[in-house]
Amino acid sequence: MLQGALAGLAAGGVYAVVAVCLTLMAQLVKVINFSQAAIGMFGAFIAVTFADAHVPQWLAVMLGILCGVVLSGVIGWIIATWLPEASISARSAVTVASLLLLISMSYILFGTKPKTFRAVFPGPAFEVGGVVVSQVTVVMVVLAVAVAIAAKIVLSKTGVGTSLRAIADRPVAAELMGVPVKPFAIGVWLVTGLIVAVAIAIVAPTQTSDAASLSLLVIPASAAALLGGFRRLDLAVIGGLALGMIQGATAQFPELSLVRDWIPLVLIVVFLLWNQRKEVWDAAR
Amino acid sequence: MPLVDRVFRSRRLSPFVYGALALLVFLALGALLPNYLVYLAITAIVATIALIGLGIVTGTAGMIALCQLTFAAVGAWIVSLFTVLQVPGGYLLWLVAGGVVAGLAGVVIGLPALRLRGVNLAVVTLGFAAAADATLLKTQFPGAPQGTKVPRPEGFTDDRGFFVFCAIVLVVIAVAVHFLQKSRFGSGWRSVAFSERGTASAGTSVRLSKLSAFAVSAAIAGIAGGLIAGQVGTAYPAGFNTIQSLALYVLAIVSGSYLLEMALFGGILWVLIPELLKRLGIPQDWGFVVFGALGIQALTTNSNLGQDLRNAVTRRRRRRLQAAGAAAESGLVPLGEEDFATALTTAPAHGRAPRALLTVSGLSVTFGQVQALQNVDLTVEEGTIVGLIGPNGAGKSTFVDAIAGFLPQHEGTVRLGDDALDGLPPHRRARLGLRRTFQQDRVPPSLTVGDFVTFISRGRATVAETAEVLEFLGCPPAATRISNVDVGTRRLVEVAANLAAKPRLLVLDEPAAGLSHEEHVAFGQRLRLIPARYGTSILIIEHDLDLVRSVCGSITVLNFGEVLASGDQETVMNDPEVLKAYMGETEML
Repeated sequence: MLQGALAGLAAGGVYAVVAVCLTLMAQLVKVINFSQAAIGMFGAFIAVTFADAHVPQWLAVMLGILCGVVLSGVIGWIIATWLPEASISARSAVTVASLLLLISMSYILFGTKPKTFRAVFPGPAFEVGGVVVSQVTVVMVVLAVAVAIAAKIVLSKTGVGTSLRAIADRPVAAELMGVPVKPFAIGVWLVTGLIVAVAIAIVAPTQTSDAASLSLLVIPASAAALLGGFRRLDLAVIGGLALGMIQGATAQFPELSLVRDWIPLVLIVVFLLWNQRKEVWDAAR
Repeated sequence: MPLVDRVFRSRRLSPFVYGALALLVFLALGALLPNYLVYLAITAIVATIALIGLGIVTGTAGMIALCQLTFAAVGAWIVSLFTVLQVPGGYLLWLVAGGVVAGLAGVVIGLPALRLRGVNLAVVTLGFAAAADATLLKTQFPGAPQGTKVPRPEGFTDDRGFFVFCAIVLVVIAVAVHFLQKSRFGSGWRSVAFSERGTASAGTSVRLSKLSAFAVSAAIAGIAGGLIAGQVGTAYPAGFNTIQSLALYVLAIVSGSYLLEMALFGGILWVLIPELLKRLGIPQDWGFVVFGALGIQALTTNSNLGQDLRNAVTRRRRRRLQAAGAAAESGLVPLGEEDFATALTTAPAHGRAPRALLTVSGLSVTFGQVQALQNVDLTVEEGTIVGLIGPNGAGKSTFVDAIAGFLPQHEGTVRLGDDALDGLPPHRRARLGLRRTFQQDRVPPSLTVGDFVTFISRGRATVAETAEVLEFLGCPPAATRISNVDVGTRRLVEVAANLAAKPRLLVLDEPAAGLSHEEHVAFGQRLRLIPARYGTSILIIEHDLDLVRSVCGSITVLNFGEVLASGDQETVMNDPEVLKAYMGETEML
């Protein structure tokens, strides 16, 4: 069981990283980005393509990450330009369309077969009580925690963070006060694109690595983000890591293989029910 | 008018006529289409059915649902299972059973997401699609490993026959959905997409509206899935995967599939684009890239092909009507003094002893540290008009929200006649006869004035009553689209519709904002006629003291959440405390 849970921690780390990005996006630019993981997937596939063309691996990975950043920036630019005051639903719907576009685009460019990735961090890191913990696991968990803490510090302690929160709460008022709303919004997209591209590049070698599976990592990640109600970064990290460990632990029991697929959905439903225990209306008045 | 024309113009008959015509076209297509196209045509029809269902959720009720083909898989699964088990009843019955089970699945999936916004439904449905997808890949459809074939219905066994069968199912579903959209259910769906508060205040349960939209959509998808099982014989998970559900959602947005003919257009695109790409030797995955790009375009410009086409048609028609001089003038005109006096005196007098209708006692509302209302008492007697006034921030709108049921955490009691309202949700209070209007525009622009009156009155107002109340308040005629009505007049339409619901108490939250001076006067006259004419008492919140003076017998003044003065008009308006609150201390010196 412990072996399984620890094995699932690498996946948990990527859930946590994506969940942190989803939470940041939901808070700062008012969108649930369904193409969050797909952006990372696309970057990872670009990296593989370059690596196959005998580009040095570090350069290939860098190019892939760069591609993810640019993609994210383009989607952000589209939304910031044409839907500056739209509802969260309307914005999120755009990311559903871009999710579809990215997955089918990757089928065309890279084929539908799963890819073999060369590991960025190969091999085990250390052993705990006879259970091996891989380097990827350590890196992912550290990355998730580091990103959450860094985001928290930037948002609460720096001038940029104050501007970002102002934009999130009152975009029009912020704009009137001279905060460059659009560049900041696109900046959030660029940064989350970077984080997710890095995370997927690291974790892709250990996952089912076809385009759809990697893109749909956004589902367990949103389950994790829902634990924090798309507001709290710490709970998003904890939710992601816990979900990964639960899935890893259940993987030990073949008879639970059908149940395993439904764990994210069940958690999503449970967290939703918890979040909505109070009456909620669509408008304040 | 020739008979043909009359049949087409009749609102009740025309759906059947169009349905019959569509069926004739499909019959002709079934006979004429070349063999290799018949199979594709079946796919287009099935996709159309799924899109019609999706249109209800995404277009009409404004939610994001990403698991339409998973519901289709449920339908296909049931039909396959019944085939294996050899359940008696035959294909048609299995098809219906598949629809019912998919509808139930929709209820289960929809329930947790209902009280929150559409985005949560998107997360849940995407999760459901992916989970079901993974499970189906492992389990396969019943009978699939053995290669069991789902039998097609008798008489429709070859492809041409099955095409006709699917076309019949499509036409039946399209006509049924047309009537559903026109019904109060349909208005509820549109209203919920526009404003949940407005929907609840109309006595319609927000949850039930959303859930019914989602369940109907899922059931229709289930039927589409059952048809797919009949089409392919043995269903495989690849036909129902998550990516295809995403693509179908995007296509529903692009085509505007809440409009029935546009669902058909979408269904045709669903097969046409991949087929064209195949002919051109381009990988078929480009099809979804095209859908994705079109989807981004449609979503960012908030437009879709269907609505664009319809708008173009209505613009042409309106121009023709205007050319014919048919533009109807409406507006609220003050009655002459004599007419008004006659109207007042001829109104039937109650003659009963005044009875308390609304009794609010000890009402307090706190938001965190802020005491918005403290210990407010207020009574509205039957057949009277009571004014609630006070400076900005005095707590007037909070008071309305509290008695209408939007602030369940308030303290104190609210009674309407003999009914205690405490703890009831807004839609239950509305059904008991407490209606309210909003300061903000809460009238869904996608409805016509008549549909809106029917919806708000919960179907109680007859055509004649609707016309009467609309004329009484100088509203545009029932067939007018609300999107063509200016915002000030929309407020009047809102009042008229709520009057048509014949509530015991109507709470008007600044109803005269946006009206001209002349309309103000006319509106005041109409208000005074309402209690006798419709048996409705009124509590009015208004900043315009002239209007308040002219209509209210008694007035309550709120200031900083407390009752500053209460009583008959004369006393309250001359109360120095009230004058101070309104004019400020220095003015008094």
